[in-house]
Amino acid sequence: MPGLKGRVVGQHRYTPYVFMLPGLLFYAAMFAWPAVIAIQLAFSDYDIVHPVRFSGLDNFVHLVHDPRVWIALRNSLLFVLMFLPLTVVAPLFLAMLVNLKLRAIQAFRMLYYLPVITSMVAVAVAWRYVFNREGVVNWVLGLFGAGPTDFLLDRHWALPTVVLLEAWKNAGLFMMIYLAGLQAVPSDQVEAATIDGAGPWQRLLYVVVPALRPTFAVTLVLSMLEAMRAFESVYVLTRGGPLDATLTLGYYIWSKAFQDYDMGYASAVGLLLWAIMIVLAGFNLLVTRRRDV
Amino acid sequence: MSRRVAWYVVLVAVAALFVGPFLILLSAATKPAGQDVFGFPPDLIPRPPVGTWFREAWTTIPYARFLVNSVIYVGITVPAYLVVSALTAYPLARIAFRGRGVFFMLFLSIMFLPGELMLIPRFLVMSQLGLTDTFASVILPAILSSLGIFLLRQAFAQIPDEVVEAARVDGANEFQIFGRICVPIVAPTLAVLAILGFVSVWNSFIWPLVVLTSQSKFPIALGIAYLSGVAGTDVRGLAAGTVISLVPVIVVFLLLQKRILNSMGGAVKG
Repeated sequence: MPGLKGRVVGQHRYTPYVFMLPGLLFYAAMFAWPAVIAIQLAFSDYDIVHPVRFSGLDNFVHLVHDPRVWIALRNSLLFVLMFLPLTVVAPLFLAMLVNLKLRAIQAFRMLYYLPVITSMVAVAVAWRYVFNREGVVNWVLGLFGAGPTDFLLDRHWALPTVVLLEAWKNAGLFMMIYLAGLQAVPSDQVEAATIDGAGPWQRLLYVVVPALRPTFAVTLVLSMLEAMRAFESVYVLTRGGPLDATLTLGYYIWSKAFQDYDMGYASAVGLLLWAIMIVLAGFNLLVTRRRDV
Repeated sequence: MSRRVAWYVVLVAVAALFVGPFLILLSAATKPAGQDVFGFPPDLIPRPPVGTWFREAWTTIPYARFLVNSVIYVGITVPAYLVVSALTAYPLARIAFRGRGVFFMLFLSIMFLPGELMLIPRFLVMSQLGLTDTFASVILPAILSSLGIFLLRQAFAQIPDEVVEAARVDGANEFQIFGRICVPIVAPTLAVLAILGFVSVWNSFIWPLVVLTSQSKFPIALGIAYLSGVAGTDVRGLAAGTVISLVPVIVVFLLLQKRILNSMGGAVKG
């Protein structure tokens, strides 16, 4: 971090706190206070109508015996597994493509980025027309002799379809992250490898990929956290169905809290998700730290 | 065929993958009543394109209302977000005080309190404050973000000492140095944050869904979801409404694409 040594001292002891006052107030009201409430609720019974009642570990005992939590956890982990190659690997190839020195390449970057800036709701509506039983995808599959499938209504296809949409929407973002990484790869290394007779795949594996290590660390953690908390796409595409096939932890929390008004239990599942995300982020930090040394 | 042409073919094919769904949406929104939206083989060119469905979406659903609401949400949230982020980031970058590192970590910890997990407790905080189903309830949680503080802290820290020292010698106090010298210098970072803030507020959906009950306060993304529920079978009206909701973001994106794209890589790289 450049230039963060102390600068002003003494003028007024309270000056930094006066600056930070609005930020601290928002932090307290919108983050700290709700976080405390979330933890308190996880150990309580609350249905909005009746007052909050302390219930000890009841919610967590219930959680362990709740088959739908395990379904949601399994779906969330499957989501991560399918999502990672689509957001950590595929966008690297996109980035290499738009890193070519060609005219109008910026226009292509822009087009690939388009889904990132549009709302998930709009994207989901657009995709309904594509994945409809009589939509374009089924027509293309029909050319190869595959029968029409109701992707979002099929127990086996619904989750992969939701994952695909999430990955498609985020591909441009990951592409731009990789592009920044690629442009920092020293070109003399790539040239040296070319002169030594390395083909494109060898250059990718032995020069580019090692140089991109810090970038992979960023995309990996972003991708895992994004997949782990997937909710919006599930909400607008499948509402967790069919038969819980797309029930993710994020969607389960929402439905328990705002459909069943079981706020205490929903908060307990929320803490579980929170813990998993912190473990994933911490694990990632640990792995990348070690590599950097 | 030259190598360059081959690359362009690949680039266009990939572009079709990313733009195609939006074009199919546009086609559904502009097809005349007599032409099927679905069917094999896909018949995507409207003959002739009509504006009927846009008019219908506009009149049967309070679309104008949703759009105005979103403009209000963006118009209040984004400036407030910039002011609060700049004020918070400034001392973290340029004033020596005890516990600065701790305060910075505190604000960064926001990253690990994702919005999805905060839905329930924030909803309760809003009801405790008597703010559920108000414009304020949508705006307040969006005003502080770790990204804004993080990027602005870096921008403030990169201002050369000499610039600030000169002002100090002239007798400027810390607030004058902040407002008259440092904020103008970090204007490019503020612009990037303003764009990112615009996109995120314009697209916000889950939190308004939880905290709002009156349809008259819905932002546009929630309006679309509402439209898809109400007019479940009206595939053309839904497509038209969705296209309307996309226009403002795409226009802003086209105007400012260079800045947005350049900022993205840099923002994440830190």
